[in-house]
Amino acid sequence: MKLMKLEIATPGGVIYDGEARMVTLPGSEGEFGVLPDHATLVSLLSTGVISIDMPDAQKVEVAINSGYVKVNESKVTCLVDDAVAISAGDNDISRKIDEAKKLLESAQNSNTAIAAAVGKIEHIRKSI
Amino acid sequence: MANLKEIQRKIKSVKNTQKTTRAMKLVSSAKLKRAEEVAKRSRVYAAKLNEMINEIAQKVLTYSGRADRSRIVVENPNPKTVDIIFVTADKGLCGGFNAQTLKRVNSMMSDFKSNGVEVRLSGIGRKGIDYYRFNKIKLIKEAIGLSSAPDYASASKFISEAVEEYINGSTDKIILIHNGYVNMITQVIKVDQILPVSTELINIDAISSSELEVESEDEDLLFQALLRRYMEYTIYYALLDSMAAEHSARMQAMDSATNNAKDMVKTLSVKYNKARQEAITTELIEIISGVESMK
Repeated sequence: MKLMKLEIATPGGVIYDGEARMVTLPGSEGEFGVLPDHATLVSLLSTGVISIDMPDAQKVEVAINSGYVKVNESKVTCLVDDAVAISAGDNDISRKIDEAKKLLESAQNSNTAIAAAVGKIEHIRKSI
Repeated sequence: MANLKEIQRKIKSVKNTQKTTRAMKLVSSAKLKRAEEVAKRSRVYAAKLNEMINEIAQKVLTYSGRADRSRIVVENPNPKTVDIIFVTADKGLCGGFNAQTLKRVNSMMSDFKSNGVEVRLSGIGRKGIDYYRFNKIKLIKEAIGLSSAPDYASASKFISEAVEEYINGSTDKIILIHNGYVNMITQVIKVDQILPVSTELINIDAISSSELEVESEDEDLLFQALLRRYMEYTIYYALLDSMAAEHSARMQAMDSATNNAKDMVKTLSVKYNKARQEAITTELIEIISGVESMK
């Protein structure tokens, strides 16, 4: 399976820097998925969840408040203001989920977007 | 005898100075660690943002002929007015840290002036502001306290006006000068051109040949938001970088001051011992010659 590079950076540090099979992003015009060899694109990101399909078939969810993304054929670069990453292997996953919820709820955005994102985060908690 | 006391007093005062400088060095090294950590964490974000802006600017140049946007990326070949923003420390006692920055600002200013370009200065940091006030050179904007405690909101407020003026055409270029951190013992003057965005590409491989698509109905909004973000973050990062550099410069300066004080105490002690021996010898000679004359 083809892979692409993915970077998620915040002013507080790098959240994710590695390869991915696919990534789903909360664009300002709606959610969209990116696979390798995607055409070059720039978009605003709104409050929501970035979900990453890792090369080992694991999933990582990253809650973000707002940011930008730049996609080209081999690489996806996300610049976000603040983010919390949650992966199933984490030991302190429930604390991370709480953190992510707090981050989402603090965002100044439409309530429906926040509610949808919080719902997604809650879904992770249930699935474990 | 008076000489002896004087030397003693001097030794004491130098020792006190040494204590102060040593304490300042310790304080600076603690602060440096924190500042370095903050700067390091935001460095990646700053670099990525830079890369993104550069790539977009490149694309805009290649694929779009729009005048308003290209003003942000295309350099005016005959600039009339240039804004220089400098960042210095609020406090002194950090060696040549501030002087170096000001020297660079001055040389750049005279370069522009000799080409008939008007230069407008704005400054962050008490030291630089005081310097220009003393030399009766007007600053269009000044901020004190921002370089010792960088904060994002104030930094963006500071830059927003300059950017506004650039967009409405009263300036042709914005340059940011600060003394940046390299490592514990090295600082280097960094000169960044904020506007127009330089299209010098950092990573050529990352450029794809296809046209840029914008996933948004209002693409101007996106560009504006991204650009604003870039400006604000550039100046904010410069402040963080400058703070780390300031602490490292101060640490160095205080370290050498402590060493100098140590050397001084050493030479003064030798001088003191010599003077004391001299006094003893004189006294002895007096007694002996007194005894001799009694015989």
